[in-house]
Amino acid sequence: MKHKLVRKAVREFSEAELGPIAHDLDRDARFPWEVVEKMRPLNFFGLQVPRKYGGADLDSISYAITIEEISRVSGAMGLCVTVHNSVGVYPILKFGTEDQRDRFVPRLASGEIIGAFCLTEANAGSDAAGVETHAVQTRDGYVINGTKIFVTNGGVCSLPLIFAVTDTAEPTRSACVFIVESGTPGYSVGEIEDLCGMRANPVSSLFFEDCRVPGENLLGKTGDGIKIALATLDTGRIGIAAQAVGIAQAAFEASVKYSKERQQFRKPISSFQSIQNMLADMAVEVDAARLLVYRVCALKDAGKPFGKEAAMAKLYASTVSTSVTGRAVQVHGGYGYSKEYDVERYFRDAKVTEIYEGTSEIQRLVISRSVLSELM
Amino acid sequence: MVKMIVCIKQVPMATELPWDAHTGTLRRDLAEGMMNPACKHALEAALTMRHLHGGHVTAVTMGPPMAEEVLREAIAMGADRCLMLSDPALAGADTTVTSFALARAIEIFCPDFDLILTGCHTTDSETAQVGPQLAEELNIPGIAYVDEMEVRDRSIRVRRFSDNFLETLETDLPCLLTVNTLHHSPRYVPLSGLQDAFGEVNLLTVKASDLGIDPESVGIKGSPTKILNVFAPRAEKENIVLKGAPKKIVEEIFERFDTKISGIIKKDIKREGQG
Repeated sequence: MKHKLVRKAVREFSEAELGPIAHDLDRDARFPWEVVEKMRPLNFFGLQVPRKYGGADLDSISYAITIEEISRVSGAMGLCVTVHNSVGVYPILKFGTEDQRDRFVPRLASGEIIGAFCLTEANAGSDAAGVETHAVQTRDGYVINGTKIFVTNGGVCSLPLIFAVTDTAEPTRSACVFIVESGTPGYSVGEIEDLCGMRANPVSSLFFEDCRVPGENLLGKTGDGIKIALATLDTGRIGIAAQAVGIAQAAFEASVKYSKERQQFRKPISSFQSIQNMLADMAVEVDAARLLVYRVCALKDAGKPFGKEAAMAKLYASTVSTSVTGRAVQVHGGYGYSKEYDVERYFRDAKVTEIYEGTSEIQRLVISRSVLSELM
Repeated sequence: MVKMIVCIKQVPMATELPWDAHTGTLRRDLAEGMMNPACKHALEAALTMRHLHGGHVTAVTMGPPMAEEVLREAIAMGADRCLMLSDPALAGADTTVTSFALARAIEIFCPDFDLILTGCHTTDSETAQVGPQLAEELNIPGIAYVDEMEVRDRSIRVRRFSDNFLETLETDLPCLLTVNTLHHSPRYVPLSGLQDAFGEVNLLTVKASDLGIDPESVGIKGSPTKILNVFAPRAEKENIVLKGAPKKIVEEIFERFDTKISGIIKKDIKREGQG
């Protein structure tokens, strides 16, 4: 009953506040601060944050439903919310000191500031050890130099978490995550990327030039970077999988509706078996993806390992999202290829779910490693 | 401080209205439920009132066990406590016995109220009767279709919109108001509220036997209203082709359709023609 109500509540909000503008946000590549303003008191920025820090303290299935429902209307805003919650806030909650949690989490949970996690660089992404952003320890902290690219929420975040190494010869053992506050000298934001989809999310590069970060902003210990990144990405994948399901759901619903309206040969095209087959497959795939997402959520809440299941959910949901949105365009024919119809946006938005938070190839790597070690 | 009761009803979502073709009734078991929109406006009015004057808000519903969902939603929005009236004996109740059962439940479990708010009508049956009948049952003043309200000491001044008239009325508390959907746009449900609504909450569920009423006098057995059939109205169109000279055709149109034309232009064309 709670999950049904969460779905209804988020759907009502998303359809009313994002529905009328989602198309224009994509066209204009505009981040809707006015909607963020309304999301703040409803706890969208502290979905799983404990009450004492001002969050909603939701279970993981409620979290996934929330991301799914926002993404069903606007993939780009679903992205903002999931990235903020999963890879922006979660690492501080999980690995932060009490002081770090007290200092940063209430402001993040209230939505006063938006978070981001920066791993990808020109020569590093799937290969986290290839990171070149470098941190040198000083008497009172660290000096960071480097460039992060394709940072989701990059243009609007005020508290990015930066993955850097202190020794490029020993990247794995020297990897660190730093909490960088906006306004820190040497930290600057690059131009907003001109991307295929998710255009309302200001994805950008972040530059660190002799950026001095106090020692108390190191998350965990020196060398914890890989551990933090992997745990963060496991959680992040749940959100991206939920986002992929939401986009696919929207494309599926649009296809059902359109197929009943569109007449060819004096019949609605939904009466043709070729269309029916597509709709049937879409329904099954979206549902299967959704169930994989809910399973990993249940595992996470039960305190069980969920890395493999998160990768499975993310791999399958993103594949389904791309394929369902592709077929949605096909059902819509020429109109589906037009920006006049939302399926064109869903089609562009879906693709990146196969790329970020670990490409499908990396998910297969994670899954195969796990199954090879589990089974004799 | 205003002690309020808000009666809310779970109705099927407007997008889902599965009808049973044989019985002519709504298959509530198949439809996804939601809080009736006007009830949500009434709840919002109560929460606003509490914000202005203090007090507390009790949400009350009668329905099958699944209707508990609207009470949880009410708590998520800010209601302080809930009363659920659920019993198979109450199933199929018409508006008369619904008001009767609600009144007995309120008398027993929350008798100390200043103000009862209900929605002005529901989207499923659209009778708009339960609110006014409940006021009768409790023998308190009732005002329907209210959009603005202002508590002044032990009285309340309200504005109501009915039959294209705006009226300002005043009555003593306790009273009952049915709230329309012109004002009091409901707040969004905060996610922390939903989490709370499924924690420790003050939700009391009662049965018909807890009300000391004869089960035969309520539910479908006790309801004087019997729904014989529900059907979608059929609109039939007839195409008439008039032939001949234009003057003759125009005369014939006026001849055949004088009443309808008079109705549309709001003038009696026969009398006008004679005059």
